[in-house]
Amino acid sequence: MTGARKGVYLDYAATTPVDPRVAARMAECLTQQGAFGNPGSTSHDYGEAAGALVEAARVQVAAAVGAAPADIVWTSGATEANNLALFGVANYQRESGRHIVTARTEHKAVLDPCRELERRGWQVTYLTPGRGGVLDPAEVAAALQPDTVLVSIMHVNNEIGVIQDIAAIAAVCAAQGTVRLHVDGAQSVGKYPLDFVRLGLDLLSLSAHKAYGPKGVGALVVSRARGVQLQALQFGGGQERNLRSGTVATHQVVGMGAAFELAAAEQAAETARIALLRERLWRGLGPLKGVLRNGDPELTAAQLLNVSFEDVEGESLLAAVRPFIAVSTGSACTSANQEPSYVLRALGRDERLAESSLRFSLGRFTTEAEVDAAIEAVCGAVTRLRRVAGSRLTRP
Amino acid sequence: MNYSNLTWRHFDNPACAGVLAGAAVRRGAAGSRAQGTWVQFDVRIASRNQVSTVEAVRFRAYACPHIIAVADWVAQTAVGGPAEPIMPESVHALRERFEVPIEKLGRLLIVEDAWIAALSPPYG
Repeated sequence: MTGARKGVYLDYAATTPVDPRVAARMAECLTQQGAFGNPGSTSHDYGEAAGALVEAARVQVAAAVGAAPADIVWTSGATEANNLALFGVANYQRESGRHIVTARTEHKAVLDPCRELERRGWQVTYLTPGRGGVLDPAEVAAALQPDTVLVSIMHVNNEIGVIQDIAAIAAVCAAQGTVRLHVDGAQSVGKYPLDFVRLGLDLLSLSAHKAYGPKGVGALVVSRARGVQLQALQFGGGQERNLRSGTVATHQVVGMGAAFELAAAEQAAETARIALLRERLWRGLGPLKGVLRNGDPELTAAQLLNVSFEDVEGESLLAAVRPFIAVSTGSACTSANQEPSYVLRALGRDERLAESSLRFSLGRFTTEAEVDAAIEAVCGAVTRLRRVAGSRLTRP
Repeated sequence: MNYSNLTWRHFDNPACAGVLAGAAVRRGAAGSRAQGTWVQFDVRIASRNQVSTVEAVRFRAYACPHIIAVADWVAQTAVGGPAEPIMPESVHALRERFEVPIEKLGRLLIVEDAWIAALSPPYG
């Protein structure tokens, strides 16, 4: 890529900039004058000061998702949280059952651990959502077996934004009796309400950097009230209830706490504003023919718009818009592979349409002017590429 | 995906994109949209003193930036040259000139196939 232009940032589902208010809180933990002590060092004031900040952050994160503070286990991010949930439950319950249920449209951070568990002798059922991306809770119920120990379903899909009916899926799991429900909530906080206790969840994965917090920190919420037991994946110090050994990074978790507190406080207003911008973007793309919206629009989180463009080659589309807007063709983790989105393929889009799709994800700092610039860039690129290809869609 | 400056220049502004019409125009195409790469060349041939030369070229392409850029370069560079089913540069030379990844070699061959299809007798 040449040139210094970065374009309008519309990839908030990949990551968000740290909110300046969050960054200020984090900076207070780093230097000699700040709370730089090891939060595990209870023998002096430096450690206690840091420990107090870590516990305050635990309260903030728990409050944002309706959980008890003691249920929060700090991790390096949602990927680690997903791994801890899946391997932790699988290893702990290996004598009582070796079957897991998940969906084909989950993030790689769930699918890849599931595939590894299959290599280790576990059986995994991969459910296929309907064309709108929504999973039927009855299909979850039908997939349960006597030896099923875990159901892992994401709340808000990272590529198409579809919101799964977690309450109904939780009810299905509760009816079975012994199966644990893990929810990947990396895309949820600050965008769509998620109440851990009220929904009756067992495990919930969270990420800070999707909600204007820092990269490198997340959490797994592990329900004590529901008696969830996990086997740890790393050892050495016994931090985080022996579930995640290692010195807790004070500045990171303080940043996550501050970010989640802001996200919860500003969620309603922010979501309403972003939903209007998202619809402005969708309407702006309307004059182009052959534009298909991916995911059920009635059940999609406000920040995401995933669109397929007929008769446009995918790599060229991404290259043509790149000087003007920063978007992705799928999840950030998948884009590097240059493969068509497996999520869109699972929803029934053919390979060409899956390749020629753009994921627009809007956020806290997105403006109307930026959306208008994106519309202009995409319409211009699609029209130009269709002309080069002699597409029927450029003819009147 | 990273692209060379030359690729960006031809991809951003493919001056030879389009079609030609007329009796002296030969058309050839290769690849398919369904497979992800399709290229078509229209070549207008001028014949003087029993010598045929390329007078103008236009192309269509449903393809990645590398292939659009290469097709545009071929269309520009071929003008004035002999009307033969041989591209102005070999596929391997084009791959080096445009810094095309080796895994796209098959797509470059589609450009060559389209050129050959346009200029091989019987034309078109």
